[in-house]
Order: sequence, then structure tokens, then C-alpha cells
Amino acid sequence: MTKILLQGNQAIAQAAVKAGLGFYAGYPITPASEILHELVDKKTVKLLQMEDEIASINAIIGASLAGAKSMTATSGPGFSLMQESIGLAHMMEVPLVIVNVQRVGPSTGMPTLPAQGDVMQCKYGSHGDYFPIVFYPNSVDELYQYTFHAFNAAEESLSPVILLSDGYVGHLYETIETKEYEISKRTLPPLGTSNRHFTGLTHEGSLPATSDPEIHRKFIKHLEKKQKKVAKKYNGYEYIENASSDTLLIAYGALSRVSYHFKDDFAIYRPVRIFPMVEDIKEIAGQYKKIVVMEMNAGQYVNEVERMLHRKVHLISILGGKIDLQEIWTKLRRFRRDT
Amino acid sequence: MDKIETIQEGYVTKVITHLNYLKQERLPTQWCPGCGNGIVLKLVCQAMEKLNFSQKDTVVVSGIGCSGRSAGFFDLDSVHSVHGRAIPVAEGIKNVNQALNVIIISGDGDLLGIGGNHLLHASRRNTNISIICIANSIYGMTGGQSSPTTEQGSRTLTAPEGNADTPIDAQAILKAHNSYYARTTVFHFNHADKCITESFKHEGLSFVEIRTQCITNDGRRRGFKNAYEMLMSYKDTFKINDNTDTLEHNEIGIIR
Repeated sequence: MTKILLQGNQAIAQAAVKAGLGFYAGYPITPASEILHELVDKKTVKLLQMEDEIASINAIIGASLAGAKSMTATSGPGFSLMQESIGLAHMMEVPLVIVNVQRVGPSTGMPTLPAQGDVMQCKYGSHGDYFPIVFYPNSVDELYQYTFHAFNAAEESLSPVILLSDGYVGHLYETIETKEYEISKRTLPPLGTSNRHFTGLTHEGSLPATSDPEIHRKFIKHLEKKQKKVAKKYNGYEYIENASSDTLLIAYGALSRVSYHFKDDFAIYRPVRIFPMVEDIKEIAGQYKKIVVMEMNAGQYVNEVERMLHRKVHLISILGGKIDLQEIWTKLRRFRRDT
Repeated sequence: MDKIETIQEGYVTKVITHLNYLKQERLPTQWCPGCGNGIVLKLVCQAMEKLNFSQKDTVVVSGIGCSGRSAGFFDLDSVHSVHGRAIPVAEGIKNVNQALNVIIISGDGDLLGIGGNHLLHASRRNTNISIICIANSIYGMTGGQSSPTTEQGSRTLTAPEGNADTPIDAQAILKAHNSYYARTTVFHFNHADKCITESFKHEGLSFVEIRTQCITNDGRRRGFKNAYEMLMSYKDTFKINDNTDTLEHNEIGIIR
């Protein structure tokens, strides 16, 4: 265990190498590029700088099938380009880690400024039904730790796992203690060992394609079941109880760091595994009269929380990449018990 | 794939054929009567047999389209990726395991249209993969729209008055980065066999553009009665020229 000063993005890269990363393909994009930079000249990592993010995601799919733990990192615009092949990886059941260091969108938006606008895209970005495991740490230390978890969850679920970050956490420097974490082994036999056919078509056994609805339903059910099972191993969340408050403040990523300022006035819940949602939130939320979700988008996770809890959830939306404590307090104070 | 290993050990001489590279239970293919894709499949198997490729060292990757279904017929590990992305998938595979023979079989729409950018950059990187491009001048699976290799003036579903655009010059793309490029047709069977075998032997990126007929969604709009007539048109149009730096429009050959 050693103490080192690391940037959020660097922490992801260094943890990935320790977790057994064998192949990385990527395309430069702010604010994620440092992950690519950090991996240059790493002896154990084969690195390809591709022509775009579409090539990057497909290269890591090939690499993962060929036997290497594989990762790519990008920001919103690149993440949008990757969506089709994220669906492919779910369909072919390929373990991958995809890092998305979010910035303000839509489109080119505000490069380098943090945002949390890609939360729903993680879940619904590709066409069709799939059930991704998504982690969203809020510190350099946690990014380091969850990079290991992301690789492990990918191997255990044979699916692409998304590690969300944002321009704030990604560019943050903090001192961390580099601990040793458990590392899952590869379970998928590499290409060149059998006569398997990996396809994006609905398939079953030796049948490479089918239009049988029963087979498709069975497969989607199988995806949902295995994702939930693996996700349970990584029940990451933080809960700061506050008996004197009747309001639960929910925040994640960059904004959750600010939420700590309000822990005297509110109870705080911070999900780290944002999808599938941690079930414990139901019990925690049950203890509070009001639920407020604070996020850097026009309201995304708030709907998911509302759907999970079947009750009204308030939104505090922070747009434009600027985190201003005074602004947040102005919006938040009306939820205090004494007002 | 025990049968093929038996060949290598020399116990059986000629009982086994190249067709053992295919999943027998999947034959016949689902392609239309008169389609040229099956010929390409046979050519690829023949070349694999000649070079003693086996299940342990060969992977076939394809994209989407009629020809994209090729990968699923091989009795090897194979990948059927999304539309246009067979090349980066293959590059990922090759970079992780250099010992694998990585073969792409896909169509002109897939490799030169939607995936054209990847071809530009893969040839620049010169990854050691073999690309067999089944160029049938049409988007066959989707009903007969103009494709990147549709001849100027040729009638298609989306160009009933004749295609206004010039076909893509794949030769120029590959030549620009000194990669292996061959043009051949399914009619010139022995020539095609040579082009494909040589491409498998080539160190670095190789691209074989094999002209193939699609009677169902292309030929019939252009006045051909059957696939045979289309094959004969290849015979009449293309002349073999293996000793040149640049293939003319009506020439087939290998550029290294």
C-alpha cells in the first residue's frame, strides 16, 4: 500500500493495468484523453489509437474475444458513436470496460466542463433491450477501486460494464492509497479454440439466427437475470443518516461531493452503482418525507428514482457545468425541515 | 476439426475436401439461386486447405449484408459484427493474438461504404489481416439500392435513371499505403483462387475485390436473364493482367 498523488483519469488507467488490462483502443477526446496518455508505453498493454470511437469499441470487442481484458475511454460525443456496438457486446456477451468522462452536451456542448447528461444514455443508448452495470464513483480513490470492480463485473457478467465519470472528477488530483483488490480471471475461451459463432443476431446454440420470439424472450430474460445477479456483488452506495432531517438528498458523481456540505441539514444518499439501481434505496427512502435528487442535467436519475420508489421525487437541476455552492443552497434551502 | 488434422498428419490422402472448413449441417446456404457468394466461400475454403489453416489458428470475421452471413458457415471461431465494423474487430483480434489468421469476408457496401473509413486507416496501419470483399455492385439484402461499387449509369432501385456517381476506387485506397490489392471475379475461378491464396500468404493488410453477381436485386434490373449471363459478362469484360502497377477498369490482377 503506497500513497500517491493521482488525477482521476490517471487512476482509472493505472488501476486498469493492475486489473489485467491487455488491450486498449481509443480516440482522443477532452476530458478523457489522459486515460489514453497514461497507457502509452505500458508493457502489458497493447494500445491502438483508432480513427474514431466506432473503431475503438469494435477493436476492443475483437480484442476481448481474442482473449485480452479490454477497455476504451471517451466522453459524451464518442459515447454516442459507440452505442450500436455496445448493443453488439451485450448480444454477443463480450466482457468490456467502457469509461465515459462526461462533459456538457448535447453535441459538442461545453468541452472540459463537467456534466451528468449521459446517465440515461448508459441505460438506453443502444437500440433494443439490455441491462448494463454502471458505476459512477466520485473521487480519485473510488475511481481506482471501481476500475477493478468494473473489470471483475465485466468478466463475471460477460458484458460491457460502464464506468461513468465527469470532467470534474476525471481532472481532479487527490492523494490515494493504492490497495490490492481482487481480480477476476477470464472465463471466455479465446478465439481459435473452437467453432463458436459470435453474432449480433438473436441466436441459440448452433443456430446462428432465428425469428422465433420464444428464443428472443428467453435470451433477454437471461441477460436481465445474469446482470442483476452480478450487480448484487457490487452494491456500492454511501448513506449519511440524519435523524433531525425529514429530507433525503440524493446526488452522485461530481455533485455528490458538494452534497456533503449539506449533511447537517439533510440525510444524504449517494449511489455508486447507478444501474441496476441498488435496492437498498427503497428502505432508506422510506424513512424520509421528502426526496430530492440533485444532478447536472435537466432531470434524468430523478425519474429512475421516482419509478423505483413510486412516489414524488423533487429535482434540483444544475446545468452548464458550473457548480456554485450559493446557487445550490438557494435551490435546496426550501426543503429544509424548518421552512 | 479432427478431419483436417488427420490430413496434416498424412493418414488420409484425398478423402477430405476443403468443404470440411464449413459447418456441414448449415449447408446448403440460404443465399438466392444464382448468387455468387457460395463460390467465394468455396474459394476461401480451398485457399485455407492449401495453406493448412486449422481451427486453432483461423478466425473469420464478417459485417452485415448477404455476404456478412459468410462467417456463420465456417467450422471455426467466427464473428458476425455490426454493419461496417468488421475491420476494427479483426484488427483487435489480430493485435491480441498474432498467431491467428484473421480473415474478413464481407460486402462492398459494408467494407467500402459504411466501413470505408476503417479501410483507409487499417491500410495505413497495415495490420496483417486478409479482407475478401464480395463486390456485387448492389445492396442485395435490402432490396437493390446503389452501392459504392455500382457502375456509373447502372440502374438500381434508388437510381432508376442510372447511377450518377462514380464507383469507389478501392485500388487507389490500398495502393496509397502499399497494401496488397487484387481484383478478380467469380467467373475467373483459378485467378480468384490465386488472388485469395496469395492474399492469405501476404504479410500485412491484403484486400481482394472479387466481382460477384447478384441476379435477384441487381442483374434483373439491368436486363440480365439469369446469373449465367452475368458470369459471362465478367468473361467478356475483364482481362487478366498480373504484370502491372495499375489495373485498368476492365482488368483483373494483383497489385502488391
